[in-house]
Amino acid sequence: MQHSTLVNNAQQDKLAVDFCGLSLTSPLVLLSGCVGFGEEYTRVAGFSNTDVGAVCLKGTTLEPRLGNQPHRVAETPAGMLNAIGLQNPGTDHVVNTILPALDFNETRFIANVSGSTVEEYAEVTRRFNDSPIDAIEINISCPNVKEGGVTFGNDPEMSARVVAACRAVTDKPLITKLSPNQTDITDNARRCIDAGTDGFAVINTLMGMAIDIDRRVPVIGNNQGGLSGPAIKPIALLKVHQVYQACKAHNIPIIGQGGMASVNDAIEFLIAGASTVGVGTALFYDPLVCSKLNKGIVAYLDRHELASVTDLTGSLTLNNPPSAACAGG
Amino acid sequence: MQDAKSQQHRDSIFLEEAEVLTHDSYPAGQHVLRVRAPECAARALPGSFAHLQCDPSLPMRRPLSIMRTDAEAGWVEFLYKVVGTGTEALSRRAPGETLSMLGPIGQPFVLDETRPRTLLLGGGVGIPPMVFLADSLRQNAHWQPVVLMGSEVPFPFAARPSRFILPGMPDAVIAAMPLLEDWDIASRLATLQGYPGCFEGYITDLARHWLDALDEGQRREVSVYACGPHPMLAAVAALAGDYDLPCQVSLEEFMACAVGGCAGCTVEINTATGPAMKRVCVDGPVFDAQAVNWH
Repeated sequence: MQHSTLVNNAQQDKLAVDFCGLSLTSPLVLLSGCVGFGEEYTRVAGFSNTDVGAVCLKGTTLEPRLGNQPHRVAETPAGMLNAIGLQNPGTDHVVNTILPALDFNETRFIANVSGSTVEEYAEVTRRFNDSPIDAIEINISCPNVKEGGVTFGNDPEMSARVVAACRAVTDKPLITKLSPNQTDITDNARRCIDAGTDGFAVINTLMGMAIDIDRRVPVIGNNQGGLSGPAIKPIALLKVHQVYQACKAHNIPIIGQGGMASVNDAIEFLIAGASTVGVGTALFYDPLVCSKLNKGIVAYLDRHELASVTDLTGSLTLNNPPSAACAGG
Repeated sequence: MQDAKSQQHRDSIFLEEAEVLTHDSYPAGQHVLRVRAPECAARALPGSFAHLQCDPSLPMRRPLSIMRTDAEAGWVEFLYKVVGTGTEALSRRAPGETLSMLGPIGQPFVLDETRPRTLLLGGGVGIPPMVFLADSLRQNAHWQPVVLMGSEVPFPFAARPSRFILPGMPDAVIAAMPLLEDWDIASRLATLQGYPGCFEGYITDLARHWLDALDEGQRREVSVYACGPHPMLAAVAALAGDYDLPCQVSLEEFMACAVGGCAGCTVEINTATGPAMKRVCVDGPVFDAQAVNWH
């Protein structure tokens, strides 16, 4: 598998990452909900799935879902709200019709499973287990559906039950997508590790609202939506750092995601503890951002004389701030 | 590798740094923007749109319908109205500056050869795709386009009396779009604002005047194409239903990716298997009017 835009093997070696036992050619992962079922962005000339280590497919439920009424997206300062509502054609259609049309030589494909009950999560996972999909992401953090989603993700007990139920029916790598809309994300991560997750995606969107002041109604048809984009990056970085504290002893890798829009952002996520970096809303601004990020990461590694992007993961050294009394404040 | 058919969609949309060539202001915040974007200009079809970065500080692009292209000269032209932050920022971009532009995007209008009397209805900022469609129809004498336009703000051109007689038009309704006159295409204008030479009423009422003046055989040769505000398009769909005419409409919706990835821009479409949420960006923006759930 060759990156469409990198010129030599040395550069490729620097970007290679092992994620939950999968060999990825780049630390970049296209995020679920941003790239449909994997082929949509290939419409753009110059874009290639070979530029990313993996592609997370659109959230999938057992039965087809129409999703929410419009408006589903709205721009906000340094970001956007979305409330798609898990529109998808159902698991069997994805497995039988969509997956066979994907080119697994180009990248790794990760399914994103969702449900209204623990049993639905397990059944969707079971059906993907019998497919060529490379890994399975458990979406217990979708903020835009009435049942399941974030209501499971905000309860560590329920999160662990969902993970355990999925673990029982698949040997494929399991990645748990955590919500930032909860009190103690590190505790939740520990429970999910005990329940058998192989990796984490940190974070999903934050719940937010925008109001049309002329009509005095929410802009988003679903009233509330998930906030993404550069506005949430500092929050995402902190959450990655916090989850990494639970992960490092177990060698559990993290997809760091939330508002990543530049090479510097990507490097920050890696230093905070991520093994790979998610690209989502940034694609909407620049559909060709991935090849630029790959080149920029290689340039950073060269500048800092690092052999591999894996050297960055969790390389953060915390400040040791003096107490207020010592500082004389 | 997959077979060629499943990858036909690949490499069909181009990201270009489009230089602003001209940018002219008209009343009520209307602007005509012409940019150099040769890849888009060479491939755009009537109904296509482009997704523009109005300002580098804005996280989302804005979709704009294409009004005209010149493949040889490599330019693309838009007509837009300032309605919010994005279009306001766009209106400040001056000739010589560049805009990041993604295009062409979307399914174009599909013409029915058996219905050469093409009725084009454009309302407000829905005018651009009708101009683009008219430009393409004039290339072949088979088509007999009639263009009706409506606006509740002054039209972004100086209307002039039409050289063409259109059946059913009330006597005082003579105002036409000069560009269409130059293309030998008959047009008329409608408004509730009392602009001179315009029909006083809705564009759909003006269309009824024309349709009623045709005989039945002529009406069987009519097909309708429309773009404009949602209530106007719902009225156009109803009109087409009344006269049993095929009708295609170009829709708009808030949009994030514009390439089919995010499902943010969907509208409800009735299909053989029940209602479906279709993406305006790549499934549309042109849809069969009778399939749209107008609520």
